[in-house]
This record gives sequence, C-alpha cells and structure tokens, in this order.
Amino acid sequence: MAEEPESALQLSPSTAADGEGPTEVSPETATPEPPSSAAVSPGTEEPAGDTKKKIDILLKAVGDTPIMKTKKWAVERTRTIQGLIDFIKKFLKLVASEQLFIYVNQSFAPSPDQEVGTLYECFGSDGKLVLHYCKSQAWG
Amino acid sequence: MEENEFFGEKTFQRYCAEFIKHSQQIGDGWEWRTSKDSSDGYMCKMHFQIKNETVVSRAGTSAHEQTCLPMEEALELPLDDFEVTESTATNEVIKYEYHVLYSCSYQVPVLYFRASFLDGRPLALKDIWEGVHECYKTRLLQGPWDTISQQEHPILGQPFFVLHPCKTNEFMTPVLKNSRKINRNVNYITSWLSLVGPVVGLHLPLSYAGAASQDE
Repeated sequence: MAEEPESALQLSPSTAADGEGPTEVSPETATPEPPSSAAVSPGTEEPAGDTKKKIDILLKAVGDTPIMKTKKWAVERTRTIQGLIDFIKKFLKLVASEQLFIYVNQSFAPSPDQEVGTLYECFGSDGKLVLHYCKSQAWG
Repeated sequence: MEENEFFGEKTFQRYCAEFIKHSQQIGDGWEWRTSKDSSDGYMCKMHFQIKNETVVSRAGTSAHEQTCLPMEEALELPLDDFEVTESTATNEVIKYEYHVLYSCSYQVPVLYFRASFLDGRPLALKDIWEGVHECYKTRLLQGPWDTISQQEHPILGQPFFVLHPCKTNEFMTPVLKNSRKINRNVNYITSWLSLVGPVVGLHLPLSYAGAASQDE
C-alpha cells in the first residue's frame, strides 16, 4: 500500500495491518490528503519495529470530526500532544479557527505538552495507545 | 435524572466532590468552599509560580514561561559566600487562583481565575494571556473578548477573569456522548477542566484521567 511515509513529521503509518477496506470519510469533507510540504525537517525514518523509540497510536474520531484515512501511527515517544494535534489538523486540513482536542480514556484531555510516551505507559494496552480526537469551534 | 450535557447544581456538586476526593488523594490542592448565604458552593485552587524576567535581554526571551525556572539560571554567581552580587534577573512570585462555579443560566460549569503578585498587585489580562499555551493563543487572540472577560465573582463579589461558558455545551457534548457509551460515570468536571484548564495555565495531572471515568 503506497501510504506516503510521514517521515517529515516523524510519524509513520504503523506497518501493522490496517486493512480497513473502503476509505471512511465523513460525507461533509473531501478525502483528506497527507500534507504535501514538509514544515518540519525530515527525521530519520525508523522502522515501526523499533518499539523502544516509537509507540503505536490508534486514532479514533469523535462526533462529526472527519475520520482519518490512516488511523494507526507509529509515533516517537517524545512527541507531545500538541505536536500530534498540529499533525492531525494539517492532515484533516482544518482551518485555524477550528480547535482539535485529543482525549485518553475517551474523557480526559491531557495537557498539550504531555508526551505520548508517558500516555502510553499509563493508558496503553495491547501494545497501543488509543486516542480519541474531536474538533470544535470552541472559544467563542 | 437526565443524562444530558446539562446538569443541575446538585449534580455539579456531586461531580466536584468526586473531583476533590481525587485531588486530595494526590495532593493537588483543590478545595470546596460554600457561600455564607446559601448552599451554593464552588471549587477552588491556588498555586504559585515564579515568573522570571531577565532584565538584560528583555526582547523575546523566556520572560513568561509556565514552569518554574531553576534559580541557578537566573542569578549570577555570588562573589563570596555571603555576598550576592547584583543579579541580572528578578524573580516574581505570582499567585494564581482558579475557581469552578456553576452557571444557572448556562447550566454548565464556569472557570473563574485571577492572578496577582504577592503584594496584591493584580496581573492584567495581557500578562495572563502570555501564560496561555501556544496552541490556544491564535484562537484566543482572534477574538479575546468573546472568550475571556472580567466579571464579578458571583459569590465573592470580587473581579475575576472568566472563560465564557457559552460554547461549553458545544464542545463537551460530543465527548460525553462518546464516552458515556462505554461508561456512564464520566466526571463532567474532570473532562471539562482538562479541556479548558490549559487555556488559562491550569494543567491537571494525568492521574485524573483514570478518575475521570471510573469503571467501578
């Protein structure tokens, strides 16, 4: 599957089977494309098997937030929630006025500077961390 | 009882009680205060931060950081054991107060906050905004007067800054609907505070996440 590796943002789709047949996209939005230009300098492409440095994250959409084409990602442990939010916003092409929130345990929003590695230690199971994301026009 | 995004004062107090119980377990400092005149009450927490301002290089340095800066970086080495040289930095201690009240008109919780120096000088909203996390800054700066305003604390009668509650229901509903499919005991206050807190410099320790959705 030619899923373009997001090495520029130091995230890469997990090589674990992601065999969801048809693309799941919310009817209101066009199929999200990965960002074409790298805003961040490319990092080393790490194989997802290097479990020490990267953890598997499964992203689930909440409400009418667009569903990402790729849901499973191998992410560096030191990536912050804020970094992940920025990445998803670009991936989904949200506008600046749209907020995106990420939750653990479906109900708690970690601080933006929290590292995903820590969250994985606390809330990961079955070798992955499940994070829910939800967009909102919050703050007036 | 309606399991909806809106809830009444009693439910608010119940959520707060659970929240405070966890706060006590981890020493996070939240307390419940009641009004003298009625059974209304609110949660409050105070914390102190050292705000480090380097006099020499004022332009764009870490003048306003969220975390306490180690003192060693700010002060010059003393000439001898007992004499401290003129330091190039002054450290101010800022007292932050966060109050969680219930809004009858919006039927949601509301976050009131204020900050002051130890001598009582209040911080301006501008200074508090500088403590807002980067990710929220753009949005807040687009329409600050819609989101943070100064109002009289309903119980204390003193001026506080308030994060306006008009959108609370809108961003809480999808999350709650989703989480309540799995667990009906999600603590609204914990979820809500984890979301709005960072906007004003308040971060909840991760252990609340476990408490936010008690399975037992």
